[in-house]
Amino acid sequence: MFGLYESAFGALTWGNIVMLLIAGLLIYLGIARKMEPLLLVPIGFGVLLVNLPLGGLMEVTDGEPGLLLRVFQGGITTELIPAFIFLGLGALTDFGPLIANPKTLILGAGAQFGVFFAFIIALLIGRAFPDFLEIGIEEAAAIGIIGGADGPTTVFLTNKLAPDLIGMTAVAAYTYMALVPIIQPPIIKALTTKEERAIYMKPQLKPVSRRQKLLFPVIAAVIIILLVPRSAPLIGMFMFGNLLVVSGVTDRLADTAANAFMNILTILLGLSIGAFMSAESFLQGESLVILGLGVIAFAASTAAGILLAKLMNLFIKEKINPMIGAAGLSAVPMASRVVQKMGQQANPRNFLLMHAMGPNVAGVIGTATAAGVFLGILG
Amino acid sequence: MIDWGLVAKVAGAGFGVTILVLTLLAIIVWLVSLVTRESESQGEEKK
Repeated sequence: MFGLYESAFGALTWGNIVMLLIAGLLIYLGIARKMEPLLLVPIGFGVLLVNLPLGGLMEVTDGEPGLLLRVFQGGITTELIPAFIFLGLGALTDFGPLIANPKTLILGAGAQFGVFFAFIIALLIGRAFPDFLEIGIEEAAAIGIIGGADGPTTVFLTNKLAPDLIGMTAVAAYTYMALVPIIQPPIIKALTTKEERAIYMKPQLKPVSRRQKLLFPVIAAVIIILLVPRSAPLIGMFMFGNLLVVSGVTDRLADTAANAFMNILTILLGLSIGAFMSAESFLQGESLVILGLGVIAFAASTAAGILLAKLMNLFIKEKINPMIGAAGLSAVPMASRVVQKMGQQANPRNFLLMHAMGPNVAGVIGTATAAGVFLGILG
Repeated sequence: MIDWGLVAKVAGAGFGVTILVLTLLAIIVWLVSLVTRESESQGEEKK
């Protein structure tokens, strides 16, 4: 610039320009369409920053890592950010609907089918196009976990198994979480009859005592971590965050975990994930395949949840509305809202939101457990 | 070269373990609910 230093214009590539447009799209979706704005806006801005050349935000210059690289290395590579986001999620989660109806835990587990289904499909696609795609078992696991619809878990697992894919899998997970109201209804309609969608469920859940709420996070942490030890960072923080709330004696900690701490982590996570989406790493055929596989994983998870709910109806006296199985994804509370809306359309007397929250919360536990299983076998 | 035996193990056993863990948790939560309700109702009767 004026012979004083090098401006970035000359270094701008077509790839950077495409990525700047993608950054604009993510920011637009977040602000104008209010799709997961707390995530898409920081991710979009991270994409924008890293695709302005010579800024050095994700590079090592004179032995010093750039600002966002430092955040990425300190927060994502060390797994601190996804694990502590689970602390905040735990503080924001009410396990009441799940405790009132424990069989919804099984629906949350069944909906993880999409994760393992997409894992196999990813490998088959990699095998069909070996020159075009390099998808090994670790990469397939990272792609499959998108089906759980859980951003922090996707980041956590991808960082461990296939760190090069972290930008793509995270964006796919968060984008599809925002698109749940568009992706799920056609699948629900295809797999249920109008009569099934109209099945009435009593609006009142069984009452849950304080003692039950206190015992749940402790019991869940002990059982799950003993059985799937590698899920400990996520499940441990999730249950600890919840205990802070239900204990009733650590209000200040619960408030910080659910608000200020969570917000700080969300900013750092969004920016550093976005910053991992440089033109060189994102503009590859692999990205499109991962985005496509993400939809397959989401659809399969939704379908598995519904079919499992229908199967359960064959054995239980008081029938459940099979749509609540579709809420077995971790996308809280979007998947529950979809079920509530469709339930009211089919039967205006139905109020399914709280019933759907059970499998929805179970989905978070299920996805973290599935990630722990992947790590246990492959990590 | 992909080890398809490992793939089958990850997909089949992985999904199976996920189902098993959450089913076990569901049973334990149900049992704990029964016990706590019982003890709470006994406590109320004593009062």
